[in-house]
Amino acid sequence: MSFEEFQNQARLYVIGALEADETETFELARKQFGQPAEDCIAQCYDMHEAFALSLRPAKSSDALKERLMAMVRKRQNT
Amino acid sequence: MDFLPTNGAEDNPIEVAAPRMPAAAPELEPGAPTDLELMHAIQEEDPEALSLLYDRYNGILKALILRVIHNEAEADDLLQEIFMEIWNQAKNFSAQKGKPLGWMVTLARRRAIDGLRKKQAYARAGERLQNETEQQPDAWVHNATEEEITFSDTRILVRRVINTLPVAQQQAINLAFFRGMSQREIAAHTNTPLGTVKTRLELGLKKIYDGLKELRDEL
Repeated sequence: MSFEEFQNQARLYVIGALEADETETFELARKQFGQPAEDCIAQCYDMHEAFALSLRPAKSSDALKERLMAMVRKRQNT
Repeated sequence: MDFLPTNGAEDNPIEVAAPRMPAAAPELEPGAPTDLELMHAIQEEDPEALSLLYDRYNGILKALILRVIHNEAEADDLLQEIFMEIWNQAKNFSAQKGKPLGWMVTLARRRAIDGLRKKQAYARAGERLQNETEQQPDAWVHNATEEEITFSDTRILVRRVINTLPVAQQQAINLAFFRGMSQREIAAHTNTPLGTVKTRLELGLKKIYDGLKELRDEL
């Protein structure tokens, strides 16, 4: 697998679109390419952020946050 | 088109006024802690940091969850679980592997897709028993949150990149990212040859990746 092919596969990998056999091949190539491969994957994960930022924010209730913070404080005290 | 809910001027990227270049994430007030600073504080078990992170990103993460599971009540439950997981798993976050928002989005997406699959498995079991449970109508993001729309430069520009893709490529990416489908599942779902799906995904993702890189480079 060339590095360009690896980059193509990495973009599919980060969104979970690779099939099991492709993932196996991808992981092998990932080891072979080393740090440049890890850098490439990290950059591809930026797409996750971009997809999320492309959506209109949805409102959550204040009660939800209160419940969350109560759970956090309870967890801290145990 | 099913990739991203649109309305008004955003349907046509050409009509969108040219804003200044975006930050990677929403702009912060002067003096406000960065996401990374908040993550470090959460790692030190500071609840106030989680509270601030929640205020900053609950809307984005809930929109993402809703895009996957289309149910307001379930989205709220998942959102709460996800922020608890952020609190519990913060020690596993490493800035070397990416940015806090990317980490949170990855976590939220995974949880939402898991939730969707459980629902689908439950529904299939229900069908087999011919005992379907009546479901609430889908609560689409844009219906539930129309009043809460905040137009940001970032969102407009990211969508501008996405909107340059042919519809078929957007659909394939939508099914992969927001439904968690593999290429074979997309092929079956859309009745499209597997090779075509692969090509659509590869081309579409490369265009988005290159488009986002251009935006970053222009900063």
